[in-house]
Amino acid sequence: MLPLLLVLGAIVAYPLGYSLWLSLRDYEILQSTDVSFVGLEQYTQLFSDRDYLAAMRNTFVFVAVAVSLELVIGLALALTLRRQRFVRNLTRSLLLTPMFVTPIAVGLMFRFLLDDQLGVIPQLLDKVGVSIPFFNTQLALFSLALIDVWQWTPFMLLLLLAGLESLPEQPFEAARVDGASAWMTFTRVTLPLLRPIIVVAVLIRSLDALKVFEYVFAITQGGPGTATETIQFHVYRTGFQFYRLSEAAAMAWTLMIVVMAIIVVLFWQFTKGQE
Amino acid sequence: MKRLLALVGVVLALTFLITGCGGNNEEAQGGGKASGDVRVIMEEVPDTDIVQDMLGEFNKQYPDINVQIEALPYDQMRDKIVSSFMAPDPTYDLIIVDNPWMYDFASSDFLEPLDERIDAAGNDYNYEDFAAPVRQIAEVDGHIYGVPFYNYGLGLIYRQDLFEQAGLKPPTTLDELQSAAQQLQQPGTAGIAMQPQRGYKVFEEWGNWLFAAGGQIQNQNGQIVLDSPEAREALKMYIATYECCAPPNSLNWSFDPALRSVSSGNSAMMISYNWMLPTLNDPDGPAGDLAGKFGLAEVPGGKAVLGAWYWSIPANSANKEAAWTFVQWLTSPQQDIERVSMGGAPVRNSVMENKKVWEQGFGESYYKTVQAILRDSAPLADGPHAEEMIQVVGTELNAAVAGQQSVDQAITRAANQAEEVKKGKE
Repeated sequence: MLPLLLVLGAIVAYPLGYSLWLSLRDYEILQSTDVSFVGLEQYTQLFSDRDYLAAMRNTFVFVAVAVSLELVIGLALALTLRRQRFVRNLTRSLLLTPMFVTPIAVGLMFRFLLDDQLGVIPQLLDKVGVSIPFFNTQLALFSLALIDVWQWTPFMLLLLLAGLESLPEQPFEAARVDGASAWMTFTRVTLPLLRPIIVVAVLIRSLDALKVFEYVFAITQGGPGTATETIQFHVYRTGFQFYRLSEAAAMAWTLMIVVMAIIVVLFWQFTKGQE
Repeated sequence: MKRLLALVGVVLALTFLITGCGGNNEEAQGGGKASGDVRVIMEEVPDTDIVQDMLGEFNKQYPDINVQIEALPYDQMRDKIVSSFMAPDPTYDLIIVDNPWMYDFASSDFLEPLDERIDAAGNDYNYEDFAAPVRQIAEVDGHIYGVPFYNYGLGLIYRQDLFEQAGLKPPTTLDELQSAAQQLQQPGTAGIAMQPQRGYKVFEEWGNWLFAAGGQIQNQNGQIVLDSPEAREALKMYIATYECCAPPNSLNWSFDPALRSVSSGNSAMMISYNWMLPTLNDPDGPAGDLAGKFGLAEVPGGKAVLGAWYWSIPANSANKEAAWTFVQWLTSPQQDIERVSMGGAPVRNSVMENKKVWEQGFGESYYKTVQAILRDSAPLADGPHAEEMIQVVGTELNAAVAGQQSVDQAITRAANQAEEVKKGKE
């Protein structure tokens, strides 16, 4: 137990603690000799910081759009795959591959796929006479969400498929015997039974989506304007481009508080499901 | 339990070993001839390759100095440089500094003042020969912290053949620019490739519009004077040109997409770095069949946005003597002639007027134009927090081009945020 605690302490607790300490001061790298303790000022400032609030808003919109789509598509895929008889393992492996590509590579990949001058997708769309400006003000965040959907629906698929396959047979047999339609079976039997898994999957995926950074960094750098500036990217900009580390630390800690709240809900749901 | 403890012990020991092994470097010999290693960080650009090619010549004169150049992409450089400044053992003994970083680095005492070294270099070194706007950026609080390396002032790069066909001359005012772009706008060919990407790029490009409209970013005392009718006029015209004559879906364009557009013939002109002209006119370059058809002119209004790189010695450099010996040799008038003849971007007036450079480089008219560009040019930001100031202004400008806010809102917000940044948020 002790060695593990030591390692965890060094790698996790110390940086976290230092970050908290940083957020209570006004440290800037380029003025590192002029630092003072300012208490909760960095935090209170955030509530009137337009850019911070916009970044939080963008992030929550991104998470809502991406995770909802992933849930719907993942569920549809899981229901289909469950009934598949042929080439099962190969299909499942292929469908799961996007998850294993490193996110920054996925970001770069889609940057060039969707590039107006060089990209394959605009070329194909052009042949059909359609021209979609993927990264203009209105669509940029949505395009990034779609990239997230491409990469992480397999994760939802994995969890939901495992959940589906672990469901007991009897309720379904009973529904069949009672003459229930497919839709009724789905809404009255499958979904309620699957609910704990869905909740866990959505919460885990949401936690991950809150951290979105690679797609923003690789493709839009937060633009156009501030349309795709997510909180993680905003923290990066403030801390590592503008060198205002204390402010960045405070922002990161507010995100940490949101994440911890979600984790509490997650554990509560998880233990509830076990009863 | 014992095995676990041993394992943890090994891991910890390894960690300390790895972090303890910082850079190792020979200390410069005090007095006497400079020698030893000079670790340099540079950007991955052709001008760096030219310096690499000159190392052989340098070592003929100074065989005891070993210059090791690490070339990195731009985005990685600043972080590595700042880390080197703050490390107990520096990673670099000589660095190049981009102009927005100069004030912050100098005022945080990260850089060594070079005044005495320049004085000791004597009249032959001719420090005043460096184009004034360029060298003044590295003069902070009365001391010199950098020696100019190469410039990236902006100019108008245009298709001479298309201009001739349309009976046009390079535009000298914003109105002329707008009408030229409109005339050259054809189905399939845009009038002008623009770079309104959020942040540095849009500000760098729009800055020329601002100057042409008679506006300024900062006054002589360094105060932000961005909130002006000239700035609003400039932004209106910038957006008008973008909306009529820029390639479709080019809202996030930066340097590479604009270059591709012009070099493939999809745009008739662009505002870009002056040394893009030789690249575009190179038959082996990106323009292919279009090589030779491009011309360079000053931006409309004649006052260009200036950028430049400087040689600076970190205050914690492990070998300042050898680093300065190299810089003095490389930036001396004679060697700069060699560097520019090999294709480097010029910073010295004597070099831009040198016949050998005209012959072996890119011709008299190119260097004369560059000299004119540099003569009347200004950087985007001069003073503390320049990097952040440029980013916040660039964000507001891009939001205006994207239609997220009005010209008025953009200019007001940009000016306010720039002032806040300069004051320093507490």
